[in-house]
Amino acid sequence: MRRIGVVKGLKRFSLFRFAQPMVMALFVMIQPAPSPAADRIAVFPTTPFDAYIIYESLAVLWLAIIGLIVIIRMKLREIERIQEMGIDKEDKDAPLLQ
Amino acid sequence: MNCPKLKSWLEERYDWEGMKRFAKRKLVPEHRYDLWYYTGGITLFLFILQFLTGMLLAFYYVPHIDFAHKSIIEIVTKQNLGWFFRSFHHWGSELCIAFLFIHLFGTLLLKSYRKPREFLWATGFILLGVSIFFGLSGYLLLWDERALAAVRVATGGAGNFPFIGGFIKAFLRGSIDVTGDTLTRFYAFHVAILPIITLLLVGLHLLLMQYHGMSVPLSLEKEKRREIPFFPNFFYKDLMVWLVVLGVLATLAVLLPPEIGAKADPLAPPPENVKPEWYFLFLLETLKLFPGAILGLNGETIAILMVSCAILFFFLIPFFDQRSARGEKSPLFTWIGVIYLLYFLTMTVVGYLS
Repeated sequence: MRRIGVVKGLKRFSLFRFAQPMVMALFVMIQPAPSPAADRIAVFPTTPFDAYIIYESLAVLWLAIIGLIVIIRMKLREIERIQEMGIDKEDKDAPLLQ
Repeated sequence: MNCPKLKSWLEERYDWEGMKRFAKRKLVPEHRYDLWYYTGGITLFLFILQFLTGMLLAFYYVPHIDFAHKSIIEIVTKQNLGWFFRSFHHWGSELCIAFLFIHLFGTLLLKSYRKPREFLWATGFILLGVSIFFGLSGYLLLWDERALAAVRVATGGAGNFPFIGGFIKAFLRGSIDVTGDTLTRFYAFHVAILPIITLLLVGLHLLLMQYHGMSVPLSLEKEKRREIPFFPNFFYKDLMVWLVVLGVLATLAVLLPPEIGAKADPLAPPPENVKPEWYFLFLLETLKLFPGAILGLNGETIAILMVSCAILFFFLIPFFDQRSARGEKSPLFTWIGVIYLLYFLTMTVVGYLS
C-alpha cells in the first residue's frame, strides 16, 4: 500500500487506515433500524456491521475480478502477438544438445 | 506453473502432449455473431456452480414435511454464509435457465441446428426441459405456501394432458394432492435423478459439439474468416466472461436474496396473486387465453394439447427445415423462430405485470 506523507513527521500515515473506519461509521449511521416485522424471515444479516462487511467483500470481489480480467487480457494479447509472429509452434528440426 | 516431474509422470501413463496438441488443434471461427458461442459456455459454468452450491445446501437440508421449511430457515439464519449460498443457488438457477433460453433462441435464429447438428439441438432442448423441471422441483423443497400453490398448479396442469395426464400427475405427486410424498419425490428428482440425466446430457452435448465443431451461420459460410485456437485463445476469453458472470451472480445473491414465505399448509387456501417462476409465465398466460369449455371439451385440456404440439414442433424444427439442411436460406423458419421468441417474451412480460 502506498503511504502518503502529509507532514514530514507523519511519513507512515495511511489514508486507507482512516478511510475504512470512517466509511464504516457512516454506513452504520445511515442504515435504517431493523423493522420489527415478526412474520418475515430475515434472509440477509440484519446488523449494520455484518451488512457493511458483506458489501465491502462484494466490492473486493469485483476488484479481484477486474484485476484477473486485466491479467488474462494481457496474457491473451501476448499469446496473440507470439502467434502472429509464428513462433508458437514447436520446431521439429531443432538440434538437440546431447 | 512448471512441474516437470508431474508432466513426465503423466506423460509416462497418458499421451499428455497428444492431448495438448488436440486442444490446440481445435479451432473456433471468428465472425460478427461469435458472441453466441459464449452463451453455451456460460450455461455450462452456471451448471457447475449449481452443482457445487447444491451440494453445500444438501448438507443441511432435511427433506421431510415437518422439517424442510425449518431447515431452510436454519440454513439462512444460523449457518455461516448459509443465506449467501441459498441466494446464490436461487439466482444461479434463474440465470442458468435464462442463458439456456438465450442459447436456444440464438441457435434457432442462426440455424445452427441444421444438418449435421440435429442431435446437438435435441440434447440441448431436452437439457432445457430437464433444467425447468430442476427449477420446479427445487422450488417445492422450500415448502412454503407459494411453492405448494405453484407445484399444485403445475402438476394439476400436467394432469389435464389427455390419456396419460392422470398417470403423470400421480407419478409427480406420489399421492392425490401435493403432500409430504411429493416433497420426498421432488427431493429425489432434484438431488439424484435430474443431476445424473443432466450430466449425461451435458456430456453428450459436449461430445457432439466436439465431433461436429462450432457451427457457422449460413450467411457467413462462404465468406473467408479467421479461426482461433480453442486453447488458449478462446478458453481465456471464456474465462473472462465466466468471471463477469460470477460477479453478477454474487451481486444478485447479496443485493436480492429470495424471501422465505410462511410454512406450507396443504389444508389452507392458496395465497392471493401466486405467480410461478418466470419461465412458466408464458404457459400460464396461454392457459388463461382459453375458455373453460370448447365444443363441450375441457378448455384447459385443449390448451395443454396445443401448447404441447407447439413445443413438439419447436423440438422437431431441424428435421422440418430442409432448406437449411441443404445450405440454402430459409426465411420461413427464421420468421417462425422470431414468432416463437416474441410470443415467449410478450407472454412472460404480460404474466409478470398482471
